[in-house]
Amino acid sequence: MEEELIQIKNSAVSLILETKDQKELEELKIRFIGRGGRLTLAIKEIPKLTLEKRPDIGRLANEVKKSIEDAISSQEYRLRETKTKKIREEIDRTEPGIKPNIGHLHPLSQVLYDVVDVFKSLGFQAADGPEIETDYYNFEALNIPKDHPARDTQQTFYLDTRNSKVEPGEIILRTQTSAMQARVMEKAKPPVRVIVPGKNFRYEQVDASHGFEFWHCEGFLVDTNVKLTDLFGTIDYVLKKLMGENIKIKFATTNFPFVEPGVDTYVQCTVCQGKARLPNGQGCGFCKMSGWSEIMPAGMIHPNVLKAVKYNPKEVSGFAFAIGLSRLATLRYQMNDLRLLTNPDLRILEQF
Amino acid sequence: MLAPLSWLKEYVDTKLSPRELGDRLTEVGLSTEKIIKDKDDIIFEFEITPNRPDLLSILGIAQEIAAIEGKSIKHFKGVNINLSLKKILPLKIQTDPKINPRFTGIIIDGITVKESPKWLSERLIKIGQRPISNIVDITNYVMLELGNPIHAFDYNKIKGAAMRVHQTKGEERFTSVDGISYHLPKNAVVISDDEKIIDLCGIKGGENTGIYEKTKTIFIRVPVEVPSLIRRASLSLGLRSEASSIFERGVNAGGTLNALQRCVNLVLEIAGGKIASNIYDIKKEEFNPWRLDLSLEKLKNVLGISIAESKILKILENLNLSPEKISKGTIRTEIPTYRNDLKAEEDLIEEVARIYGYNNFPKTIPSGQTPVKPPPYYRDYRLEEKVKNIFKEAGFSEIYTYSLISEKDLTDNEMDPDKTLRVDNPVSREFEYLRPTLMINLKKAVALNKPNFEDINLFELGKVYRGANLDKKEESYFLSGISTKMNFVKVKGVIERLFEELGIKEDPSQYVEAIEEGIFFELNYDEFSEKINLNKTFKPIPKYPPIKEDLALMMADKIKTGDIIREIKDQSPLIREVSLLEKFQNIRTFHIVYQNPRRNLTSGEVEKIRERILVRLKTKLKIKPKD
Repeated sequence: MEEELIQIKNSAVSLILETKDQKELEELKIRFIGRGGRLTLAIKEIPKLTLEKRPDIGRLANEVKKSIEDAISSQEYRLRETKTKKIREEIDRTEPGIKPNIGHLHPLSQVLYDVVDVFKSLGFQAADGPEIETDYYNFEALNIPKDHPARDTQQTFYLDTRNSKVEPGEIILRTQTSAMQARVMEKAKPPVRVIVPGKNFRYEQVDASHGFEFWHCEGFLVDTNVKLTDLFGTIDYVLKKLMGENIKIKFATTNFPFVEPGVDTYVQCTVCQGKARLPNGQGCGFCKMSGWSEIMPAGMIHPNVLKAVKYNPKEVSGFAFAIGLSRLATLRYQMNDLRLLTNPDLRILEQF
Repeated sequence: MLAPLSWLKEYVDTKLSPRELGDRLTEVGLSTEKIIKDKDDIIFEFEITPNRPDLLSILGIAQEIAAIEGKSIKHFKGVNINLSLKKILPLKIQTDPKINPRFTGIIIDGITVKESPKWLSERLIKIGQRPISNIVDITNYVMLELGNPIHAFDYNKIKGAAMRVHQTKGEERFTSVDGISYHLPKNAVVISDDEKIIDLCGIKGGENTGIYEKTKTIFIRVPVEVPSLIRRASLSLGLRSEASSIFERGVNAGGTLNALQRCVNLVLEIAGGKIASNIYDIKKEEFNPWRLDLSLEKLKNVLGISIAESKILKILENLNLSPEKISKGTIRTEIPTYRNDLKAEEDLIEEVARIYGYNNFPKTIPSGQTPVKPPPYYRDYRLEEKVKNIFKEAGFSEIYTYSLISEKDLTDNEMDPDKTLRVDNPVSREFEYLRPTLMINLKKAVALNKPNFEDINLFELGKVYRGANLDKKEESYFLSGISTKMNFVKVKGVIERLFEELGIKEDPSQYVEAIEEGIFFELNYDEFSEKINLNKTFKPIPKYPPIKEDLALMMADKIKTGDIIREIKDQSPLIREVSLLEKFQNIRTFHIVYQNPRRNLTSGEVEKIRERILVRLKTKLKIKPKD
C-alpha cells in the first residue's frame, strides 16, 4: 500500500509537470484525485488495513493528496504565466496607440474654468448677465455720465432702434463686464464676492492684441474694512495661481471713473519673456515692445458707485477688477495673436 | 502726448535714467508708451488718462517728476504786462458764462508775422508739431507748456470789432484755419463778428480771421470752455484738436491770465508790437483753489498701511497741494485749479498712495465673511464644464466665434435681416448683425476645415440674440454643434447621453437635424439647464438575475423603430430594457432584458411575454419574426 501511494504521487507529479495546457491538467486532476481517480480509489482501501497500519498509511495518503494538489496549482500558475508571457512577447511596443476619438475644449474655456476655480477658493461665486445692455448699467451707474471723456476709451456699439420704442443710444453692446456691478449690488447686500466672466464689445480696429469682441472676467468684493492691500494681495494670489508662482507682476496707477484709487496690473510678457524683442531680433508685437502686458485693471470701488446701488460708503467699501481672459489665454499658451482665439481651425483647436 | 526730456529739465532735474523715469512715471499713472532717442535728446510718449488734463502740458508732467523725485518745482508766474498804453483799439465782447465760463484776452498791435526763431520751431518739430508762423507757433508752444489752449485772431478782420459768443442753430457753414469746411451741429459754441462765424470755440479757429503774413494786429484769446459742449460738438463733427482734448477734460480755469501773460511776453519778444488794449477777463466765478481735507485714519483704512505723517505731508507738498495739519489726524490741502481731478478725499488718498508707490505696498488677503448664498444672476460654471466635457469625450471640439455676423450670412441662410438685431455703427459690413443662431458660424467653421479634415465635429456654447426689434429682444445661451461624419443616431446618441448624465427625461430627436453640411443640433441652454436634475438616489443591485434575449423581426422599411420599442415595452412590466441591436435589410434585431425584482423569472414566463409581443406586433404593425 505504501509503495502504491508513493508511486501514485510520483507518476501524478511528473505527469502534471508535463502538461501543456489547462485542459490536460483538468484531465489529470480527474484521473488522480477525482471521484474515481487513482488516489481516491486507493484511499478507499485504507479501512481494509489492520488497525495498526491505518494511521501511518492514512497520514501518507493525505500527504500524497496535498502534494498532488500543490503540484496542480503551481502548474496552473505556470501555465497562465506562460500564456501571458507569450502575449507579452507578441506585443510591438513601438506601434502607435489607437487613441479614442475625443475632441478638445477651447483654450478660453480652459482658462475660464481655472479662473472660476481660483476665485472659488477665495469665496467668490460666478454671475452672468446680458451682453445687450443699457447705457445706465454700462456707464452711468459706474460714475461715467453721458459726456464723460472716459467714454472715448470704450468706443461703443449702439443697437439699431428701428421699429421699437427704445431711445437711440440707450441700448448698447456692453463694453465691460463691470456693467454687472450695479446689477448684482442692487439685488444683494454686503458681503459680496462675485466674479462675472463674459464677452465684451468695443468699436475697435482689429489687430494682434485688440478685437471688437473679447472676454473679460470682472470681479468685485464689498464688505466692511476692505483695503487696498487686500486688492494687491488678491491680484497677486490669483495671477500666481493662474500663471505660475514665478511670474513677474507690477502695479501702476491708472484712472477709471468707477474706482479710486485706480490700479493697473502688468505681467511680464510671456511671448518675449519681458525682453521686448523676439529671438529673431524683431520687436515683440504682442506687448508692443514694452516687455509687459496689461492684464488686470482694478481699484477701490468709487463711493459714487456704492451710492448708486444704495450702499453706504461710510459703512462698507470694496474693490473691483477685471482680468482679460482673452489675454490670459494668449499669454498662457504663448499665442502671438488674439485672433487665434476666434479662429475655428481644427489645426489650432487640436493643440489644446 | 510727447515730451522732450530737455524741455522737462527746464522745470525739474532728474537723475533717473530715461528707462527708470519712464517706469516710475507709469507707476504713478503717466503711462509711458515709448521712449525715443532723438539726437542728443530723449522724447517720451505718454498716454494720458481722461481725468488729467494737466498732464497734457510740459509743466504738468514736470510736476509729476518733481513728486517722484521728492522735490518741489516753481510754477511759472507770468511777468506782469506793462499796461501803460499809448493806443487803445476798440473791441466789443458779448459773452455768456453758461456757455463760456471765462474769456480772457488782449490786443497787440504792430506785430510782424514771420518764421519762428530756430529754438521755437525746433522744439515744436521735436514733439510732432509743424511750425506755421511765429504767432501761431507761440500760441501752440504756450498751450503745450502750460496746458491752456490759446487762439490768436487777426484783429483787423473782425468785422465791426465785435465778438459775440453764442450757440449755433445747426447747419451753419464754417471753414477752419486749415481750410476745411464744416456744417456745424446744433448748440456748438462759436464766436461771431458782425458778419460771420469766426471761431469754433475750443476746437478750431476760423480761416476768415486767421494769422497770415499781412496780419499786423492780433487779438489773443485764452478761454475756459464747457467740457460737455466742446465734447458734443467735437464728436459730432469727428473733429479733434489738442485744444478740444484739454477742454473736454476740464481746462485749468485759474490759469488763463498766467498763460496770456506768458504768450504776450513771447509775442512782444519774438514778433514785436505793442499792447493795444486792457486785459479782458470776463467771468462770473473767481476760479480760486479749493480746500480738501484728508483724514489720516481714513487714509489708513482705505490703504491698509500706516504711512508716517511727515511722509504724507512731503508727498502732498511735492505735488504742490499746500498741505497743512489743521488738527490731530487731519491735513488740509489747497488744490490748485489745474487739478480738476481732485474733488473728494478718496482722490487725495490716491495721490498719497501712487507717489508712495503701489509696488511698495504689502499684500494681504481679504478677511471678513464669505457669502454662502449664490449671488443674483448666479451661473453654474461647473455644470457648463461638465456639459462641454461630454461633447469633448464624444469627439466634438469647441469653438468660440463672433456674435456679430454679416447680412450675407443671414440671407445665405434664408433669414430676414429686417427681423434681426443690428448695430448702428458696425466696424464693417462683415460684423453688422447679432447672430440669431449658432448654426451660421458652425457651417462656416466646417467649410474652413474641409480642405484639411474629413471628420469634423464642432460645438459652441454661446449667446444668440433673437427678436425682430429691440422691444422684443431675447438673449439666451445656445448649445449647438455639427458633425460631418456621424449619422443622425450617433449625434442623437450623444445628446441622449448628455440628457442621461444630467437627469433630463426627454427625447432629444427634436433638437437634431440633417442639413447640407452634416448633422446639426441646437439646444436652448438656458431652458435646458432649468430641467437639469443632478439628484441621484442609490438603488440596490437586483437580487434576481435578468433573462436576456435577442429578437430578430422582419418588417417594412417605413415602420419606426421607436414605435416597435414602445409596443414591446407595453406588453409587460417585467421588460426592463429594449434596444435595437442591429438593422440589416428588412430585419431589425432587438435586445430584450426581462427581470423581476422580487423573484427569479422562469423561462415559461418569458415565453408567454414573448408570445404576447409577437402577437401584438403582428396585428398592430404587421411584423413577423425572422424564420
